[in-house]
Amino acid sequence: MSVIRARDLRKTFRTGFLMRRAEAVRGVDLDVEPGEIFGFIGPNGAGKTTTIKMLTGLILPSGGEAWINDVPVPHPDSRRGLGFLPEGTYFHEYLTGAEFLDFHARLLGVTRQQRREAIPRLLERVGIPHAADLRIRRYSKGMRQRVGLAQALIGEPDLLILDEPMSGLDPIGRKDVRELILSLRDDGKTIFFTSHILADAEMICDQVAIILDGRISHQGYMEELLGQEVEGVDLVVEGIDEPLYERLAQAARRAVVQGGRFLFEMQDEAQAEKALDQIRASGGRVRSLMPRRKSLEDLLVQGVEQERAS
Amino acid sequence: MTGPGRVAVLAENTFREAVRDKLLYNLLLFAALMIASSIVLAKLHIGADERIYRDVGLSAIAFFGVLIAIFVGINLVYREISLKTVYSMLAKPVHRWEFLCGKYLGLLALLGLEIALMSGFFLGVLWFKDSAITSGMFWAIGLIFLELTLVTAIAIFFSSFTTPYLAGMFTVALWIIGHLLADMRAFGLQDGSEAIRPITEALYWTLPNLDRLDIKGEAANGDPIALARVGFAALYATLYSSALLTAAVLLFRRRDFR
Repeated sequence: MSVIRARDLRKTFRTGFLMRRAEAVRGVDLDVEPGEIFGFIGPNGAGKTTTIKMLTGLILPSGGEAWINDVPVPHPDSRRGLGFLPEGTYFHEYLTGAEFLDFHARLLGVTRQQRREAIPRLLERVGIPHAADLRIRRYSKGMRQRVGLAQALIGEPDLLILDEPMSGLDPIGRKDVRELILSLRDDGKTIFFTSHILADAEMICDQVAIILDGRISHQGYMEELLGQEVEGVDLVVEGIDEPLYERLAQAARRAVVQGGRFLFEMQDEAQAEKALDQIRASGGRVRSLMPRRKSLEDLLVQGVEQERAS
Repeated sequence: MTGPGRVAVLAENTFREAVRDKLLYNLLLFAALMIASSIVLAKLHIGADERIYRDVGLSAIAFFGVLIAIFVGINLVYREISLKTVYSMLAKPVHRWEFLCGKYLGLLALLGLEIALMSGFFLGVLWFKDSAITSGMFWAIGLIFLELTLVTAIAIFFSSFTTPYLAGMFTVALWIIGHLLADMRAFGLQDGSEAIRPITEALYWTLPNLDRLDIKGEAANGDPIALARVGFAALYATLYSSALLTAAVLLFRRRDFR
């Protein structure tokens, strides 16, 4: 049974004085399986947040259907066992972190005893145990994101829908959130998250859907989508002379000189091996050798180009 | 958790939000000053002291109560939407009617507290000036609270589908018209043409008639107040508020939070 299932989900908004139709989501199908990290990625304005808002009952679909744990959306029961982090971290600023979590826990019917135990533990888990008694008004952007994550985790939900959870975080914060998401999956939870930071998604996702202009352009497990084939090899070397550089540059897809270093983008592993032999023979030093595989960015760019062409 | 339980949690949070707003304390201070000013005003009208204490005191309670009901009421829902704080609440198994009722009851709790504080100060002034405290004054204060429940329902109804600016204008307009309906009807019956009379009649029977809830004059004069009138006013305010909240819920259920 899929945790999230959507079939031909659509949303059309009426905008402006003349109530012009604007199609934000144009028939999205999704199947998110239990215990997986599902990345829903796409550029700004592609329809990620609108889809999430339909799944969480904040926007009513114009067409199609969706189910969470087999309960049709937007019935409130579909949101039982669901933790949601909205994009932008807008929370009640007059509350302290602990009051904010207490309020959301009470909305879910968490008992006083459970709240007393869970709130400090959650604040600890998201890395802000010191901020329990500080009003959210005084929180930094990163702290808001963290208290928002703690709010999504209240009540031990089985499914987490996180809208841009890494947005606004510094590199340490992003790493912490990535690790948190991975640990939540290890706890058996299902995580559905949006991001436009593709490197983050690539690092942690089991399955990915790319949405472009309201439609899914690619969907599948990471190994299916990206494959294991090497699409090129990046080679960084030092200590080679001008004639060798010229020869290697002719064989490479791309060659760049950076200070005393030379970067070559070779087409395949065989060509990289040949280049290595020549470099060693001439007394040059290899600083790095990195096989290049297809990335989510390549897929996204490919999708955007196809979209433009059509 | 049950629906009423969630409504109570939402109401408590609304109350907490309002009491942490400095505006409330400024309004209470002005209300206290206005009630206290009755002592000075009474000196200007020899022989009418008691009536002036009661008139000014009850009017101040009603006026500042309406001010808070309108200005907090119109922002109550809109602020949750514009600040996007509604997202994390409604993405839980919370029904939209629970959200609206929680907001409404939270504001009523605030208005109850505010009326209790102002009434305490008002009764303190009467006690200080050795003026009689009659049961009619308590009935009048009770009906002021009922008027506020109705005005809050009007504010929430408008704010469930429009901006605070428009909701404020519509609510103030209805509050003013609500106190003039009897005069408007009398005008229609006596001086109105055949075309105007059905309109004034229709307005009289459909718009909220706030005069039904106003016994400040009788209370200030020390006139006896029939319990049946108080009971009818209470029923009227409850039914009208319920109808407005139901309409607000129906509109709010279809609303997209973009």
